[in-house]
Amino acid sequence: MRVPYSWIKEFVDVDKTVEEVVERLNETGIEATYEKWGEYIPNIITVKIISVEKHPERDKLFVCKATDGNREYQIITGADNVKENTVAILAKEGAVIQGVEIKRRKFGSLESEGMFLSLEELGLAESSEGILLLPEDTPIGEDANKILGLGEDYIIEIEITPNRGDALSVRGLAREIGAIFGIKRKEKFPVISIAEEEEPQIEVLTNKCHRYRGIIIRNIHIKPSPWDIQLKLLKSGQNPINNVVDITNYILLQEGQPLHAFDLDKIKGKIIVRHAKEGEKIKTLDGEERQLKEGDLIIADEEKPIAIAGIIGGDNTKVDENTKNVLLEAAVFDNIQVRKTAKRLAISTDSSYRFERGVDIENLPNAQDKALELIEKTANGKITGDKDIYLKPYIPKEIKLREKTTERILGVFISRKEAKEFLNRLEIPTEETDDGTISKIPAFRALDLEREIDLVEEVGRLKGLNTFKETYPKVSTQNFRKSEEFLFEVRTRDFFKDNGLDEVVTYTFVSEEIFEILGIPVPKIQIQNYLVKTQKVMRDNLAVSLIGVLQENIRHQIKDVSIFEISSTFFEKHEEIRAGVLLTGEFIKGFSYSQEEKTFNTTEKWDFLKAKGLIHSYLVSIGMKDIDYRPSDKPYLNPYESADIYIENQYVGYIGKIHPEKADKLEIPKDTWIGELKLRYVPRDIKEDNLKDGYLYTFYIQKKTPVYKELPKFPAVKRDLAFEVDASLDVNKLLSKLKAASKFITKVELFDIYFLNKERKSVAASVEFRAEDRSLSDEEVNAEVEKILEKLKKEISNLKLRS
Amino acid sequence: MELKKQIQALGEEAKKLISEAIDIEKLNQIRVEFLGKKGKLKNILKTLGKLSPEERKEIGQLANKIKEELEQLLKGRQEELKKKALEEELSKNKIDITLPPHWIEAGASHPVISTLIEISETFISMGFSVAEGPEVEKEEYNFDMLNIPKDHPARDMQDTFFLNNGDVLRTHTSPVQIRTMLKQKPPIAVIAPGRVYRKDADPTHSPMFHQIEGLLVDENVTFRDLKGILKVFLETTFGKDIPIRFRPSYFPFTEPSAEVDIGCTVCGGKGCRVCKGTGWLEILGCGMVDPNVFKAVDIDPDKYTGFAFGLGVERIAMLKYRITDIRLLFTGDLRFNHQFKGIR
Repeated sequence: MRVPYSWIKEFVDVDKTVEEVVERLNETGIEATYEKWGEYIPNIITVKIISVEKHPERDKLFVCKATDGNREYQIITGADNVKENTVAILAKEGAVIQGVEIKRRKFGSLESEGMFLSLEELGLAESSEGILLLPEDTPIGEDANKILGLGEDYIIEIEITPNRGDALSVRGLAREIGAIFGIKRKEKFPVISIAEEEEPQIEVLTNKCHRYRGIIIRNIHIKPSPWDIQLKLLKSGQNPINNVVDITNYILLQEGQPLHAFDLDKIKGKIIVRHAKEGEKIKTLDGEERQLKEGDLIIADEEKPIAIAGIIGGDNTKVDENTKNVLLEAAVFDNIQVRKTAKRLAISTDSSYRFERGVDIENLPNAQDKALELIEKTANGKITGDKDIYLKPYIPKEIKLREKTTERILGVFISRKEAKEFLNRLEIPTEETDDGTISKIPAFRALDLEREIDLVEEVGRLKGLNTFKETYPKVSTQNFRKSEEFLFEVRTRDFFKDNGLDEVVTYTFVSEEIFEILGIPVPKIQIQNYLVKTQKVMRDNLAVSLIGVLQENIRHQIKDVSIFEISSTFFEKHEEIRAGVLLTGEFIKGFSYSQEEKTFNTTEKWDFLKAKGLIHSYLVSIGMKDIDYRPSDKPYLNPYESADIYIENQYVGYIGKIHPEKADKLEIPKDTWIGELKLRYVPRDIKEDNLKDGYLYTFYIQKKTPVYKELPKFPAVKRDLAFEVDASLDVNKLLSKLKAASKFITKVELFDIYFLNKERKSVAASVEFRAEDRSLSDEEVNAEVEKILEKLKKEISNLKLRS
Repeated sequence: MELKKQIQALGEEAKKLISEAIDIEKLNQIRVEFLGKKGKLKNILKTLGKLSPEERKEIGQLANKIKEELEQLLKGRQEELKKKALEEELSKNKIDITLPPHWIEAGASHPVISTLIEISETFISMGFSVAEGPEVEKEEYNFDMLNIPKDHPARDMQDTFFLNNGDVLRTHTSPVQIRTMLKQKPPIAVIAPGRVYRKDADPTHSPMFHQIEGLLVDENVTFRDLKGILKVFLETTFGKDIPIRFRPSYFPFTEPSAEVDIGCTVCGGKGCRVCKGTGWLEILGCGMVDPNVFKAVDIDPDKYTGFAFGLGVERIAMLKYRITDIRLLFTGDLRFNHQFKGIR
């Protein structure tokens, strides 16, 4: 909200600089900034436009004649709101507008002797449409700086928190400033006369309308507002329209009381405040056709809705240049009901904004009367009748504030005397009691101040939060819990980072399309009000995001991408923290030098075993045992170079090469490896535990602590064994069977694989034999090897010992 | 005495040869030639029998002395030559130590995660534990129990993503306060780092970002304590003499509430583009836990008080690393990410 400082001064005699006012507002809870109302511009004057004609050669230009009373100017303008018999602001030769000096300038064969100015060009608005037009009776030939008051006022821009509807007006802000500086507010009360010739016919059929006051004004003259009202509106960032509309806006700004003027002659019968019926329609002032729902609060006449209560008026009863008689509504509608309807219809008006945040029901007549006074004065209307329906007059709530409560919350003692002083300054009538104060909460703070704690905040902020000296609390360790989940993730992150992978963070919402390309189901959890379609689906894996990162980097000609992310994936009842990796291109860089061969080897690229090695090393580093790799059937992976990873027979993730067809579709290299590990389970149900089977964190937490075993007393015997097997046999099957084949085998290490032909291969391993209680003799080992061979032959078909 | 002279001459000859020897093989030859079983010295000594016992003793001693000397010299020369040979051997394989390494280059940290971990570590060191909750959250926890009723304008403070399952993407980490207090009674000292979501996208707002929530509930916790903890945290993060300002504000789940500003780290408070000329940077929101929140989780507000705070991790990371566009953080463009190697 933009508030001219000069307007505030009409309500409080504040002698501080605007800078000081703004600083103190910030320090007491209202975010405020300020700017100067324009700067002095030389050579700008008011002129009357005498004639407007189309430029004979240029399509969109007008040739105007204007006078300053002494001489005529020919001005060429592109503004299509230019109108005869209006007063505009002319920048003559020598004026400097937005850094550019105005000179005579030819448009086609015609010359322009200056330019008409818009608010934007005057530096008074960030953007504006058309030129600024002043009322007909504005004196011409005058220095426009004076008329506009350029450089002579400040505009305070405030932003209020949702609880401070009371400060959303010039009057309210003046009250706040008065409280901050301890200056009493002043106010000029309106003097009006109501003829009482008739009574408006008003019926309120709902308890969501807390007060409704309707006034009839007859024989008004719709015309532009007096300049001082227009100027205040301009300074507040509003466009003047006509006197009646301007006055309702003016009072809304000044008093925070929304008003609405109906053209009385367009209302059929009486005014009825009621709930809408399902499907009722109304065309609103903004030209939109609105569909109403049961429960919406409306103003209707006997035939139709004529306004959506507190939000926007209807087109069917709007005030226009022909309006003669007006019904001026001042009301207070239920804040929640207004909000519900405004939200649903996606309308936010100055009026609905204020009703949602609370309007001072007790100030309603004062505000409306000020409007009437202005209408009497500027539109020559006659007030002929009024009706005020206010069934449940406001009863102030009494709230006690104990000194000890303030101290308990703030840690600062504020005496009842001081608290009373602060609250009274805020115009909250307050008396001292035995242990504190008691306040009667005025209507303008009714929504905000409901409990003792609310008053603690009031006295605290006026005392000044910055004046409280810090204390340093002892953090109780009674319920301390080691943050294992957090530390586990940090550890995982450090592993991948130290092993050369760059950390990325991606959006957890992705497009539907990527799932379709990868050939996996689109996850069920989706954002309804997504920003863009590519950010709609809550991902259930990290691959979809990591592929996006790769594509982004390929666009920048980066080919070596080794990245990881530790983040959330989403499922129907839970979330899963996963670690995802994507690996392509080179990962070992620089030269390796071989002494013997005197050769340099260059970089190394990722391949399946290296990618598997990375994952495997991580699993070993966190103490995982019984790790098993089985062929993976993920549709986006190459089935011959991909593995699902199992620990103790539970699936924990995968590592594999992108399927070449998918790589083509995604326009990423075919030599791309993707892996994911299920790190942790995050339940949504508060009753559920986060230790679930099939997650690395669960294994990690539940794993056995290694216990020291005595070092072996007797030496081991090594044998190299080479087996001939079918080429299709999984080597690991052979190795694990071998390892299990004798109780004396302590270690099996693969050292050679050699394909003999298409059907057969040789697999050689170094096998370590050891007994705990004696040295094994050669004979014993030979006998053991025989036994092992017999066993293996039974378990693996076509197995032969080669050596 | 002829023999004596002979032995001495022999010694001189041998010494000369030893010093001239250029390899170990030659040395071995010399050893055999002079000191061997059939060597020159032995040969001379064979003639000792003809001498008188005195002479024999004298010559014998001389021969032993020379023998010892030669052995010493041989040993010394041998070591010299070995060293030389090794040196030659090693120098032949000299490596250009300025060559680029054959290495796995350590990966880059993400500035947001790095900042998140650093801040979390600060609070963990102070005795806080890490708590967590899901990102898909019930409206009840994200709003209602935090004293943000339906149809209250406070819900507009955070533009919410609604999900098709009836839940929301949590708009802040504050629901973790609720989850924590439902499960655990005071004293409570937790932080909750995590991803949060708001329907907002421009150079300073991302629809997904990170927050760290803090919550301390105990007997006799006051607003001044809140100021103390935050001062320690801000000084740890931004340096000892960073100016700090508390501005009263409004959050439905705290009362009183405040926003905390620090002196602009870019211009030092003089006013610049980053602080929009104010000299201050808004850094976090905080306040005393509202009694309505305590009631919602069945904690007695007459017995306990507490404070809560929430800070935006991206905001702090962007200030720290002078990043001007929040969107850069989430594209994974490695030209950006690679600028952050070696941070936490």
